Amino acid sequence: MNFLPLALYAAAFVVYAIHFAKRQPSVGRTATTLLLLGVLVHTFVIGMQTMEVRHVPFSNTSAAVSSFVWMLALSYLYIEVTTDERAMGVFIVPILVGLQIIPAINPGIDSRNPVLDSPWFWVHVTTLLFAYATFALAAMLGLIYMLQFKEIKKKHLGYFYTRLPSLHVLDAMNSRAVVVGWLFLTVGVVVGIVWTAQALALSPDNSNLQAMSLQDPKVFIAFLTWSVYSFAMVARKTLGWTGRRAAWLSALGFAIVLLNFLPVSYFVTTSHTFQ
Amino acid sequence: MELRERLDFSSRDLGAAVQALALRPSADESVVLSTCNRSEIYVVCSDPARAREEVAAFLSEYHDLPQSAFTPHLFSHDNEAAARHLFRVAAGLDSLVIGEPQILGQVKDAFQAASEHHRTGPMLSKLFHWSFVVGKRVRAETALGEGAVSISFAAVALARKIFGQLNGRRVLVVGAGEISTLTAQHLRSNGVGEIAVTSRTAAHADTLAASVNGLSIAWDDLALGVSSADIVVTATGSQRPIITRAQIEAVTGRHRRDPLFIIDVAVPRDVEASVGDIEQVFLYNVDDLQSIVQENLSRRSSEVARAEAIVSEELAKFAAWLRSRGAVPTIVALRERFERIRRAELNRLDGKLAGLPPEGRARVDEVTRLIVEKLLLEPTEQLKALPDEETQVAYTEAINRLFRLRDAESLSSSDDTAAEIRRTDRRGK
Repeated sequence: MNFLPLALYAAAFVVYAIHFAKRQPSVGRTATTLLLLGVLVHTFVIGMQTMEVRHVPFSNTSAAVSSFVWMLALSYLYIEVTTDERAMGVFIVPILVGLQIIPAINPGIDSRNPVLDSPWFWVHVTTLLFAYATFALAAMLGLIYMLQFKEIKKKHLGYFYTRLPSLHVLDAMNSRAVVVGWLFLTVGVVVGIVWTAQALALSPDNSNLQAMSLQDPKVFIAFLTWSVYSFAMVARKTLGWTGRRAAWLSALGFAIVLLNFLPVSYFVTTSHTFQ
Repeated sequence: MELRERLDFSSRDLGAAVQALALRPSADESVVLSTCNRSEIYVVCSDPARAREEVAAFLSEYHDLPQSAFTPHLFSHDNEAAARHLFRVAAGLDSLVIGEPQILGQVKDAFQAASEHHRTGPMLSKLFHWSFVVGKRVRAETALGEGAVSISFAAVALARKIFGQLNGRRVLVVGAGEISTLTAQHLRSNGVGEIAVTSRTAAHADTLAASVNGLSIAWDDLALGVSSADIVVTATGSQRPIITRAQIEAVTGRHRRDPLFIIDVAVPRDVEASVGDIEQVFLYNVDDLQSIVQENLSRRSSEVARAEAIVSEELAKFAAWLRSRGAVPTIVALRERFERIRRAELNRLDGKLAGLPPEGRARVDEVTRLIVEKLLLEPTEQLKALPDEETQVAYTEAINRLFRLRDAESLSSSDDTAAEIRRTDRRGK
């Protein structure tokens, strides 16, 4: 079921790439239409899975990745529509394609751990996934900023210079994405803490809940992520860390997020591995 | 160069020129196009040789110049060649700076001035509107007009890639030179917030400040001005750098929050090269900007072939339209011929039809008219769609002979549509 959105995202990527090279408005509109179609189909797929298992399909990593891709696509579309800048599509859409491969080839098994049967769980996972999607955008904006910065600073006004938005726009969007992501990350983490405390009172013997501490890799990396983005925001305000420094920080932050999301989830047994 | 200025129409009223030209009987329609490097007259006439003489006489009288002064630099195009020339002009292919954006507007103005004085008819209206289409297509489908091709425009384009919208950005101009003035003017028209001007000679600063609606500040406040500016343009005659890295770091600290774009158009440099190493500072000097301009120019010339292809494509369509128009006199004559026959037959049968009631007679008239229409429909379409001029001449000739149209009226298909163009060629001068 996750193949169809994957195919549409891949098609959208090809058309975004053509639009980036040729800069024809009609090609750009086709790219947006394909992406929009991909998001709609993806919405339908997630909706069907929700009906099937009778709750939002977050409880295994593949389903979570699929939801993450969906949110990232939505966030990107929002930015594209509000700024009328299509040049970033060629950088963002490949992330969608790459990540969507995971749920497409490995649908995962839906676990029904009774501990997860709580409304807190959905809030926790939704806010964190959305935060991560926003951080992905921020990181991509940061990378694009660095590309554009390099061309202007080195006075080689080449291929990217004409196609990419201005440094100011990229920096402002990066800043906004970091703030929005940080807010959702904070809400997600706070909800996680509150919910753990509540669940622990109900079932004190649960090994997962007992393992929820800063020593746990998943929890530790989440706090590390939070620290990096908090620093990025404070440094921008007080130390004047705008532009390239902010771009590096958001790239670093997202590298940590990815580390937490994929290798840690698949290969390390943590407090968040529910059997 | 001198001749170019003496034949210029743009300093005088284009409408007046068109009206003066209208007094000459040979031109049915006319448009006068004048830009900084061309003066062109587009004329529709039935006698090209005579029109050529009259346009030359007009040029001589209007500009008060003997014909011998400009005749060697005059050239003319007829028919399709004239259309091709106008299409290339509108596309920006005939400009000194290839792809420059103003030319299409100037062609539109020329047409507008002529049509306000009722000097444009079906031919020039079609031709000029077609040239607007060519101009727009070339702009949309090629990169012929892309990239700044002057130093001041290149500087403004860079500023926009750094700051996005320039609204509210603060500009400091140090020293009043030609390029710095132009750059300040372009920045102003791009909506920058405040322009401060400083110069060792306060009077120069005041003059420039007044011309760009900015304010003049004291030379001693230079460092302060740099610290509060987003864009700095320097153009002093100083032999030593007036802005150093130490100065900038002293006023803005090591981490600038916002970028600073410095455009140093002075020779020798006004700004120490190491200033460009500061993280958020972008330093461009006149050579950097010049090489951007060169790159843009060569990129534009690589687009020429694509633009010429569009011109040729549209020209082919226009030529087809011209030919379809060339068939019009034959079609009109043919229709008149058929109509005469129909009337003659109806008159001949008048006695026999007299017995019919009025409705019946009206019906006969209607039916015969419809038969003639239907008979002529297909030949008319075919004549309009002939593929080239040679075929058209042959077909027209054949129809003239078959229906003995030439007896009825003399017609000449090509003269009617000849567009005559004269242009003073200034490239040699």
